Amino acid sequence: MSWKRICTLDELKPDALREFDVDGISIVLARFDDDVRAIPPACPHMEEPLALSGLCSGGMLTCTKHLWQWDLATGEERGDAEKPLLMYDVKVEDGDVMVFVEKELEYEYEDEDDEDDD
Amino acid sequence: MRIDVKAKNGDFSFDCEEGEHVLYAGLRQGIDLPYECATGTCGTCKARSDEETPGDTIDAGWTDAPGRAYLKPKRGEFLMCQACVRENCRIVVPSKLNGGGLRTQPAYNDGVITGVRRLNHDVADFVVELEEPMDFRAGQFACLSTPGVTGFRAYSMVNYANEASRELRFVVKRKPGGAFSDALFEGRVDGAGLRVFGPLGKAVFDPAENRNVLCAAGGSGVAGMMAILRHADLADYYREHVVNVFFGVRTGQDAFYLDELVELAEKHGDALNVCIALSEEDANDELRRSMPALTFDTGFAHEVMARRMKDRYENSVAFVAGPPPMVDAVLRILIVEGRLPASDIRYDKFS
Repeated sequence: MSWKRICTLDELKPDALREFDVDGISIVLARFDDDVRAIPPACPHMEEPLALSGLCSGGMLTCTKHLWQWDLATGEERGDAEKPLLMYDVKVEDGDVMVFVEKELEYEYEDEDDEDDD
Repeated sequence: MRIDVKAKNGDFSFDCEEGEHVLYAGLRQGIDLPYECATGTCGTCKARSDEETPGDTIDAGWTDAPGRAYLKPKRGEFLMCQACVRENCRIVVPSKLNGGGLRTQPAYNDGVITGVRRLNHDVADFVVELEEPMDFRAGQFACLSTPGVTGFRAYSMVNYANEASRELRFVVKRKPGGAFSDALFEGRVDGAGLRVFGPLGKAVFDPAENRNVLCAAGGSGVAGMMAILRHADLADYYREHVVNVFFGVRTGQDAFYLDELVELAEKHGDALNVCIALSEEDANDELRRSMPALTFDTGFAHEVMARRMKDRYENSVAFVAGPPPMVDAVLRILIVEGRLPASDIRYDKFS
Protein backbone atom coordinates (compact mmCIF):
# COMPACT_ATOMS: atom_id res chain seq x y z
CA MET A 1 0.00 0.00 0.00
CA SER A 2 1.04 3.60 -0.37
CA TRP A 3 -0.13 7.19 -0.37
CA LYS A 4 -3.58 7.38 -1.91
CA ARG A 5 -5.26 10.49 -3.20
CA ILE A 6 -8.72 10.67 -1.59
CA CYS A 7 -10.21 14.00 -2.68
CA THR A 8 -9.31 17.67 -2.85
CA LEU A 9 -9.27 19.77 0.30
CA ASP A 10 -11.95 21.97 -1.25
CA GLU A 11 -14.29 19.01 -1.48
CA LEU A 12 -14.30 18.85 2.33
CA LYS A 13 -16.35 21.62 3.88
CA PRO A 14 -15.01 23.21 7.07
CA ASP A 15 -15.58 20.82 9.99
CA ALA A 16 -16.68 18.10 7.57
CA LEU A 17 -16.64 14.42 8.55
CA ARG A 18 -16.84 12.26 5.44
CA GLU A 19 -16.46 8.56 4.91
CA PHE A 20 -14.44 7.22 1.95
CA ASP A 21 -13.70 3.76 0.68
CA VAL A 22 -9.98 3.30 0.03
CA ASP A 23 -9.41 -0.03 -1.69
CA GLY A 24 -12.03 -1.68 0.50
CA ILE A 25 -10.93 0.05 3.71
CA SER A 26 -13.35 2.55 5.16
CA ILE A 27 -11.77 5.81 6.30
CA VAL A 28 -13.29 8.99 7.68
CA LEU A 29 -11.69 12.32 6.85
CA ALA A 30 -12.14 15.10 9.39
CA ARG A 31 -11.37 18.62 8.30
CA PHE A 32 -10.47 21.35 10.79
CA ASP A 33 -9.17 24.71 9.61
CA ASP A 34 -7.01 23.81 6.61
CA ASP A 35 -5.85 20.54 8.06
CA VAL A 36 -7.26 17.05 7.73
CA ARG A 37 -7.13 13.88 9.81
CA ALA A 38 -7.88 10.37 8.59
CA ILE A 39 -9.42 8.01 11.14
CA PRO A 40 -11.27 4.68 11.26
CA PRO A 41 -15.02 5.10 10.69
CA ALA A 42 -16.23 3.89 14.11
CA CYS A 43 -16.07 5.48 17.54
CA PRO A 44 -13.52 3.64 19.72
CA HIS A 45 -16.15 3.48 22.47
CA MET A 46 -19.15 1.62 21.05
CA GLU A 47 -18.56 1.61 17.30
CA GLU A 48 -20.93 4.44 16.49
CA PRO A 49 -20.43 5.56 12.88
CA LEU A 50 -18.56 8.83 13.30
CA ALA A 51 -19.47 10.15 9.85
CA LEU A 52 -23.07 10.28 11.19
CA SER A 53 -22.75 10.69 14.96
CA GLY A 54 -19.52 12.67 15.04
CA LEU A 55 -19.21 16.40 15.28
CA CYS A 56 -16.16 18.53 14.38
CA SER A 57 -15.92 21.91 16.01
CA GLY A 58 -13.01 24.08 17.09
CA GLY A 59 -10.46 21.34 16.36
CA MET A 60 -12.34 18.91 18.60
CA LEU A 61 -14.13 15.74 17.49
CA THR A 62 -17.16 14.75 19.58
CA CYS A 63 -19.12 11.52 19.26
CA THR A 64 -22.64 12.61 20.15
CA LYS A 65 -23.62 9.15 21.37
CA HIS A 66 -21.87 9.42 24.74
CA LEU A 67 -19.92 12.67 24.28
CA TRP A 68 -16.48 11.12 24.00
CA GLN A 69 -14.16 13.84 22.64
CA TRP A 70 -10.72 14.07 21.05
CA ASP A 71 -8.28 16.76 20.06
CA LEU A 72 -8.13 16.33 16.28
CA ALA A 73 -4.59 17.66 15.98
CA THR A 74 -3.16 14.85 18.10
CA GLY A 75 -5.96 12.29 18.48
CA GLU A 76 -5.64 12.56 22.26
CA GLU A 77 -8.71 11.87 24.36
CA ARG A 78 -10.54 14.75 26.07
CA GLY A 79 -13.30 14.77 28.67
CA ASP A 80 -14.98 11.40 29.09
CA ALA A 81 -13.10 9.61 26.31
CA GLU A 82 -11.05 6.68 27.53
CA LYS A 83 -9.14 5.83 24.34
CA PRO A 84 -7.24 7.98 21.83
CA LEU A 85 -8.15 8.07 18.15
CA LEU A 86 -6.22 5.87 15.76
CA MET A 87 -5.01 7.90 12.77
CA TYR A 88 -3.70 7.23 9.32
CA ASP A 89 -0.87 9.44 8.06
CA VAL A 90 -2.35 12.19 5.99
CA LYS A 91 -0.98 15.14 3.99
CA VAL A 92 -2.37 17.86 1.76
CA GLU A 93 -0.37 18.26 -1.45
CA ASP A 94 -1.31 20.80 -4.12
CA GLY A 95 -4.80 20.88 -2.69
CA ASP A 96 -5.15 17.09 -2.75
CA VAL A 97 -5.77 15.09 0.42
CA MET A 98 -3.44 12.08 0.50
CA VAL A 99 -3.69 9.23 3.02
CA PHE A 100 -1.12 6.52 3.68
CA VAL A 101 -2.88 3.23 4.07
CA GLU A 102 -0.75 0.26 4.93
CA LYS A 103 -3.36 -1.82 6.67
CA GLU A 104 -6.74 -1.17 8.21
CA LEU A 105 -6.59 0.43 11.66
CA GLU A 106 -9.08 -1.10 14.06
CA TYR A 107 -9.86 -0.50 17.71
CA GLU A 108 -9.90 -3.30 20.21
CA TYR A 109 -13.41 -3.05 21.55
CA GLU A 110 -12.62 -5.12 24.57
CA ASP A 111 -9.26 -5.60 26.15
CA GLU A 112 -8.69 -9.26 25.46
CA ASP A 113 -5.39 -8.78 27.26
CA ASP A 114 -7.20 -8.22 30.54
CA GLU A 115 -8.20 -11.81 30.45
CA ASP A 116 -4.81 -13.17 29.53
CA ASP A 117 -2.96 -11.06 32.06
CA ASP A 118 -4.75 -12.46 35.09
CA MET B 1 -26.74 -16.92 42.59
CA ARG B 2 -23.31 -15.33 42.69
CA ILE B 3 -21.95 -13.21 39.83
CA ASP B 4 -18.22 -12.59 39.72
CA VAL B 5 -17.33 -9.54 37.65
CA LYS B 6 -13.98 -8.92 36.05
CA ALA B 7 -13.68 -5.18 35.43
CA LYS B 8 -10.79 -3.14 34.09
CA ASN B 9 -9.71 -2.16 37.58
CA GLY B 10 -10.20 -5.43 39.43
CA ASP B 11 -12.72 -8.04 40.50
CA PHE B 12 -16.12 -7.51 42.07
CA SER B 13 -18.96 -9.80 42.97
CA PHE B 14 -22.62 -9.59 43.86
CA ASP B 15 -25.70 -11.74 44.35
CA CYS B 16 -28.46 -12.07 41.78
CA GLU B 17 -31.91 -13.48 42.43
CA GLU B 18 -33.51 -15.91 40.05
CA GLY B 19 -35.12 -13.99 37.21
CA GLU B 20 -33.49 -10.72 38.26
CA HIS B 21 -31.73 -8.54 35.68
CA VAL B 22 -27.98 -8.57 36.21
CA LEU B 23 -27.71 -4.76 36.02
CA TYR B 24 -30.35 -4.18 38.68
CA ALA B 25 -28.75 -6.78 40.97
CA GLY B 26 -25.36 -5.08 40.78
CA LEU B 27 -26.68 -1.54 41.17
CA ARG B 28 -28.83 -2.32 44.20
CA GLN B 29 -25.72 -3.77 45.85
CA GLY B 30 -23.79 -0.58 45.25
CA ILE B 31 -21.68 -1.60 42.24
CA ASP B 32 -21.75 1.12 39.60
CA LEU B 33 -22.15 -1.07 36.53
CA PRO B 34 -22.28 1.04 33.33
CA TYR B 35 -25.78 1.87 32.05
CA GLU B 36 -27.90 4.66 30.65
CA CYS B 37 -31.42 3.61 29.67
CA ALA B 38 -31.54 0.46 31.87
CA THR B 39 -34.31 -0.80 29.57
CA GLY B 40 -32.63 -2.45 26.57
CA THR B 41 -32.19 0.31 24.03
CA CYS B 42 -28.88 2.15 24.46
CA GLY B 43 -26.36 -0.71 24.59
CA THR B 44 -24.24 0.98 27.27
CA CYS B 45 -24.55 -1.90 29.76
CA LYS B 46 -23.00 -4.53 27.53
CA ALA B 47 -20.91 -7.22 29.21
CA ARG B 48 -19.42 -10.53 28.18
CA SER B 49 -19.63 -13.99 29.64
CA ASP B 50 -16.33 -15.35 30.89
CA GLU B 51 -17.54 -18.94 30.58
CA GLU B 52 -16.78 -21.51 27.90
CA THR B 53 -20.46 -22.05 27.21
CA PRO B 54 -22.24 -18.75 27.96
CA GLY B 55 -25.64 -20.13 26.94
CA ASP B 56 -25.67 -22.47 29.94
CA THR B 57 -25.29 -19.75 32.54
CA ILE B 58 -26.82 -16.63 30.99
CA ASP B 59 -30.28 -16.02 29.61
CA ALA B 60 -29.81 -12.91 27.44
CA GLY B 61 -33.49 -11.93 27.76
CA TRP B 62 -35.42 -9.67 25.36
CA THR B 63 -34.45 -10.89 21.90
CA ASP B 64 -35.58 -7.74 20.06
CA ALA B 65 -33.88 -5.26 22.40
CA PRO B 66 -32.61 -2.41 20.16
CA GLY B 67 -29.44 -2.25 22.26
CA ARG B 68 -28.45 -5.64 20.89
CA ALA B 69 -27.22 -3.84 17.78
CA TYR B 70 -24.13 -2.98 19.84
CA LEU B 71 -23.35 -6.58 20.76
CA LYS B 72 -21.20 -9.30 19.30
CA PRO B 73 -23.22 -12.34 20.41
CA LYS B 74 -20.51 -14.71 19.12
CA ARG B 75 -18.21 -13.37 21.80
CA GLY B 76 -20.81 -14.02 24.47
CA GLU B 77 -21.82 -10.36 24.80
CA PHE B 78 -25.16 -9.49 26.37
CA LEU B 79 -27.05 -6.53 27.84
CA MET B 80 -26.89 -6.58 31.63
CA CYS B 81 -30.24 -4.74 31.86
CA GLN B 82 -31.99 -7.61 30.07
CA ALA B 83 -30.02 -10.70 31.05
CA CYS B 84 -30.65 -13.07 33.94
CA VAL B 85 -28.35 -15.81 35.16
CA ARG B 86 -29.20 -19.47 35.59
CA GLU B 87 -26.34 -20.33 37.97
CA ASN B 88 -23.22 -18.83 39.51
CA CYS B 89 -21.19 -17.27 36.73
CA ARG B 90 -18.30 -15.03 35.74
CA ILE B 91 -18.73 -12.02 33.51
CA VAL B 92 -16.43 -9.35 32.06
CA VAL B 93 -17.47 -5.69 32.14
CA PRO B 94 -15.25 -3.57 29.84
CA SER B 95 -14.97 -0.54 32.11
CA LYS B 96 -13.72 0.59 35.50
CA LEU B 97 -16.07 0.06 38.41
CA ASN B 98 -16.47 1.45 41.85
CA GLY B 99 -17.90 -1.05 44.29
CA GLY B 100 -18.28 1.42 47.12
CA GLY B 101 -21.93 2.28 46.76
CA LEU B 102 -23.90 4.85 44.77
CA ARG B 103 -25.02 8.26 45.96
CA THR B 104 -28.61 7.25 45.42
CA GLN B 105 -28.61 3.49 45.53
CA PRO B 106 -31.55 1.99 43.65
CA ALA B 107 -33.81 -0.61 45.17
CA TYR B 108 -36.98 -2.53 44.37
CA ASN B 109 -40.17 -1.08 45.69
CA ASP B 110 -43.87 -1.84 45.33
CA GLY B 111 -46.32 0.87 44.47
CA VAL B 112 -49.92 1.64 43.62
CA ILE B 113 -51.05 3.92 40.80
CA THR B 114 -53.25 6.81 41.90
CA GLY B 115 -54.31 10.20 40.66
CA VAL B 116 -54.25 9.69 36.90
CA ARG B 117 -54.74 13.04 35.13
CA ARG B 118 -55.23 13.70 31.44
CA LEU B 119 -52.98 16.66 30.62
CA ASN B 120 -53.98 17.01 26.98
CA HIS B 121 -55.20 14.88 24.08
CA ASP B 122 -52.24 12.48 24.25
CA VAL B 123 -50.36 13.10 27.48
CA ALA B 124 -51.33 11.97 30.98
CA ASP B 125 -49.56 11.85 34.30
CA PHE B 126 -50.04 9.69 37.35
CA VAL B 127 -48.70 9.20 40.84
CA VAL B 128 -47.19 6.02 42.18
CA GLU B 129 -47.57 5.67 45.92
CA LEU B 130 -44.64 3.66 47.16
CA GLU B 131 -44.53 1.24 50.03
CA GLU B 132 -41.07 2.53 51.03
CA PRO B 133 -39.96 6.14 50.48
CA MET B 134 -37.41 6.71 47.70
CA ASP B 135 -34.55 9.18 47.99
CA PHE B 136 -33.91 10.57 44.50
CA ARG B 137 -32.35 13.57 42.82
CA ALA B 138 -33.98 15.92 40.33
CA GLY B 139 -33.47 14.56 36.80
CA GLN B 140 -33.47 10.89 37.78
CA PHE B 141 -35.79 8.20 36.50
CA ALA B 142 -37.25 4.91 37.70
CA CYS B 143 -38.05 1.69 35.89
CA LEU B 144 -41.66 0.60 36.21
CA SER B 145 -43.03 -2.81 35.53
CA THR B 146 -46.47 -1.59 34.51
CA PRO B 147 -49.67 -3.64 34.29
CA GLY B 148 -49.95 -5.53 31.02
CA VAL B 149 -46.36 -4.88 29.94
CA THR B 150 -43.52 -7.40 30.06
CA GLY B 151 -40.33 -6.03 31.58
CA PHE B 152 -39.46 -2.59 32.89
CA ARG B 153 -39.89 0.80 31.18
CA ALA B 154 -38.11 3.97 32.22
CA TYR B 155 -39.99 7.10 33.33
CA SER B 156 -38.49 10.30 34.76
CA MET B 157 -39.77 11.66 38.03
CA VAL B 158 -41.69 14.93 37.57
CA ASN B 159 -41.85 15.81 41.25
CA TYR B 160 -39.08 16.60 43.68
CA ALA B 161 -38.89 16.85 47.45
CA ASN B 162 -35.98 17.59 49.71
CA GLU B 163 -36.40 14.34 51.55
CA ALA B 164 -37.11 10.76 50.51
CA SER B 165 -40.59 10.63 49.02
CA ARG B 166 -43.42 8.10 49.04
CA GLU B 167 -44.92 9.71 45.96
CA LEU B 168 -43.48 9.66 42.48
CA ARG B 169 -45.19 11.47 39.59
CA PHE B 170 -44.61 10.34 36.01
CA VAL B 171 -45.68 11.50 32.54
CA VAL B 172 -46.83 9.19 29.77
CA LYS B 173 -47.35 10.08 26.14
CA ARG B 174 -50.13 8.08 24.55
CA LYS B 175 -48.92 5.29 22.33
CA PRO B 176 -51.87 3.73 20.49
CA GLY B 177 -51.78 -0.03 20.98
CA GLY B 178 -49.47 0.24 23.98
CA ALA B 179 -51.02 -1.90 26.70
CA PHE B 180 -50.18 0.43 29.60
CA SER B 181 -50.81 3.63 27.69
CA ASP B 182 -54.22 2.42 26.50
CA ALA B 183 -55.20 1.30 29.99
CA LEU B 184 -54.05 4.61 31.43
CA PHE B 185 -55.97 6.73 28.93
CA GLU B 186 -59.05 4.57 29.26
CA GLY B 187 -58.97 5.06 33.04
CA ARG B 188 -58.34 1.42 33.88
CA VAL B 189 -55.18 1.67 36.00
CA ASP B 190 -56.18 3.62 39.09
CA GLY B 191 -55.36 1.43 42.07
CA ALA B 192 -53.26 -1.01 40.07
CA GLY B 193 -50.11 -2.31 41.71
CA LEU B 194 -46.72 -2.18 40.08
CA ARG B 195 -43.08 -2.90 40.73
CA VAL B 196 -40.60 -0.02 40.77
CA PHE B 197 -36.81 -0.09 40.48
CA GLY B 198 -34.98 3.14 41.10
CA PRO B 199 -33.79 5.78 41.30
CA LEU B 200 -31.55 5.65 38.24
CA GLY B 201 -29.78 8.11 35.94
CA LYS B 202 -26.84 10.45 36.12
CA ALA B 203 -28.30 13.55 34.46
CA VAL B 204 -28.97 15.15 37.83
CA PHE B 205 -29.20 18.70 39.08
CA ASP B 206 -26.93 19.66 41.96
CA PRO B 207 -27.42 23.17 43.40
CA ALA B 208 -23.89 23.02 44.84
CA GLU B 209 -22.52 23.30 41.30
CA ASN B 210 -23.37 26.98 41.36
CA ARG B 211 -24.06 27.30 37.62
CA ASN B 212 -26.68 28.79 35.39
CA VAL B 213 -28.99 26.10 34.08
CA LEU B 214 -30.20 25.46 30.55
CA CYS B 215 -33.00 22.92 30.08
CA ALA B 216 -33.97 21.72 26.60
CA ALA B 217 -36.86 19.27 26.49
CA GLY B 218 -39.02 17.76 23.79
CA GLY B 219 -42.49 16.42 24.63
CA SER B 220 -42.56 14.16 27.67
CA GLY B 221 -38.83 14.84 28.14
CA VAL B 222 -39.99 17.85 30.14
CA ALA B 223 -40.70 15.48 33.06
CA GLY B 224 -37.20 15.60 34.52
CA MET B 225 -36.95 19.34 33.86
CA MET B 226 -40.01 19.92 36.05
CA ALA B 227 -38.18 18.17 38.91
CA ILE B 228 -35.08 20.32 38.30
CA LEU B 229 -37.11 23.56 38.29
CA ARG B 230 -38.83 22.49 41.50
CA HIS B 231 -35.57 21.58 43.21
CA ALA B 232 -34.09 24.95 42.14
CA ASP B 233 -37.15 26.60 43.68
CA LEU B 234 -36.75 24.74 46.99
CA ALA B 235 -33.01 25.51 47.02
CA ASP B 236 -33.60 29.23 46.43
CA TYR B 237 -31.40 28.79 43.37
CA TYR B 238 -33.05 31.51 41.27
CA ARG B 239 -31.78 34.19 43.64
CA GLU B 240 -28.24 33.88 42.23
CA HIS B 241 -28.63 31.99 38.97
CA VAL B 242 -30.46 32.20 35.69
CA VAL B 243 -32.42 29.21 34.42
CA ASN B 244 -33.48 29.05 30.75
CA VAL B 245 -36.01 26.44 29.67
CA PHE B 246 -36.87 25.49 26.10
CA PHE B 247 -39.84 23.14 25.86
CA GLY B 248 -40.50 21.86 22.35
CA VAL B 249 -43.92 20.63 21.24
CA ARG B 250 -45.75 20.52 17.90
CA THR B 251 -48.61 22.89 18.62
CA GLY B 252 -50.12 24.78 21.53
CA GLN B 253 -52.52 21.85 21.97
CA ASP B 254 -49.58 19.54 22.63
CA ALA B 255 -48.09 21.56 25.48
CA PHE B 256 -48.75 20.61 29.11
CA TYR B 257 -47.61 21.63 32.59
CA LEU B 258 -48.04 25.23 31.44
CA ASP B 259 -49.84 26.23 34.65
CA GLU B 260 -46.96 24.88 36.73
CA LEU B 261 -44.44 26.65 34.49
CA VAL B 262 -46.39 29.92 34.73
CA GLU B 263 -46.43 29.66 38.51
CA LEU B 264 -42.65 29.21 38.69
CA ALA B 265 -41.93 31.86 36.03
CA GLU B 266 -44.12 34.44 37.80
CA LYS B 267 -42.46 33.70 41.10
CA HIS B 268 -38.89 34.03 39.82
CA GLY B 269 -39.17 36.78 37.20
CA ASP B 270 -36.03 37.38 35.14
CA ALA B 271 -34.20 34.47 36.76
CA LEU B 272 -36.43 31.89 35.08
CA ASN B 273 -37.14 32.19 31.36
CA VAL B 274 -39.49 29.57 30.00
CA CYS B 275 -39.91 29.41 26.24
CA ILE B 276 -42.39 27.09 24.55
CA ALA B 277 -41.12 26.22 21.07
CA LEU B 278 -43.93 25.28 18.68
CA SER B 279 -42.65 23.41 15.64
CA GLU B 280 -45.84 23.27 13.58
CA GLU B 281 -47.64 26.55 14.17
CA ASP B 282 -47.26 30.09 15.42
CA ALA B 283 -48.55 30.66 18.92
CA ASN B 284 -52.00 32.22 18.81
CA ASP B 285 -52.74 35.50 20.56
CA GLU B 286 -54.98 33.84 23.10
CA LEU B 287 -52.16 31.59 24.31
CA ARG B 288 -49.79 34.55 24.56
CA ARG B 289 -52.36 36.72 26.33
CA SER B 290 -53.36 34.07 28.82
CA MET B 291 -49.78 33.26 29.82
CA PRO B 292 -47.69 36.43 29.70
CA ALA B 293 -45.11 34.88 32.03
CA LEU B 294 -44.13 32.41 29.30
CA THR B 295 -42.54 33.11 25.92
CA PHE B 296 -43.81 31.38 22.80
CA ASP B 297 -41.70 30.99 19.69
CA THR B 298 -41.94 29.10 16.41
CA GLY B 299 -39.49 26.38 15.43
CA PHE B 300 -37.93 23.21 16.75
CA ALA B 301 -36.61 23.42 20.32
CA HIS B 302 -32.98 23.41 19.14
CA GLU B 303 -33.62 26.19 16.61
CA VAL B 304 -35.40 28.38 19.13
CA MET B 305 -32.69 27.68 21.71
CA ALA B 306 -29.94 28.56 19.22
CA ARG B 307 -31.62 31.88 18.43
CA ARG B 308 -32.38 32.91 21.98
CA MET B 309 -29.25 31.61 23.72
CA LYS B 310 -26.76 33.14 21.26
CA ASP B 311 -23.74 34.38 23.26
CA ARG B 312 -25.51 33.58 26.55
CA TYR B 313 -24.20 30.09 27.30
CA GLU B 314 -21.53 31.24 29.72
CA ASN B 315 -21.24 29.34 32.98
CA SER B 316 -24.17 27.11 32.00
CA VAL B 317 -24.79 23.47 32.64
CA ALA B 318 -27.29 21.98 30.18
CA PHE B 319 -29.91 19.27 30.67
CA VAL B 320 -31.39 17.65 27.58
CA ALA B 321 -34.26 15.15 27.24
CA GLY B 322 -36.65 14.22 24.47
CA PRO B 323 -36.98 12.18 21.30
CA PRO B 324 -33.56 11.05 19.97
CA PRO B 325 -33.44 13.38 16.92
CA MET B 326 -34.27 16.35 19.16
CA VAL B 327 -31.59 15.39 21.70
CA ASP B 328 -29.06 15.01 18.90
CA ALA B 329 -29.90 18.39 17.37
CA VAL B 330 -29.67 20.14 20.76
CA LEU B 331 -26.31 18.50 21.54
CA ARG B 332 -24.92 19.79 18.25
CA ILE B 333 -25.97 23.35 19.05
CA LEU B 334 -24.58 23.13 22.60
CA ILE B 335 -21.20 21.88 21.37
CA VAL B 336 -20.78 23.94 18.18
CA GLU B 337 -22.45 27.23 19.13
CA GLY B 338 -22.51 27.09 22.91
CA ARG B 339 -18.96 25.70 23.09
CA LEU B 340 -20.04 23.74 26.14
CA PRO B 341 -17.58 21.06 27.20
CA ALA B 342 -19.06 17.57 27.28
CA SER B 343 -18.84 17.56 31.08
CA ASP B 344 -21.41 20.40 31.21
CA ILE B 345 -24.02 18.56 29.16
CA ARG B 346 -26.29 16.12 31.00
CA TYR B 347 -28.59 13.62 29.40
CA ASP B 348 -29.42 9.94 29.62
CA LYS B 349 -29.52 8.38 26.22
CA PHE B 350 -32.64 6.29 25.74
CA SER B 351 -31.81 5.12 22.20
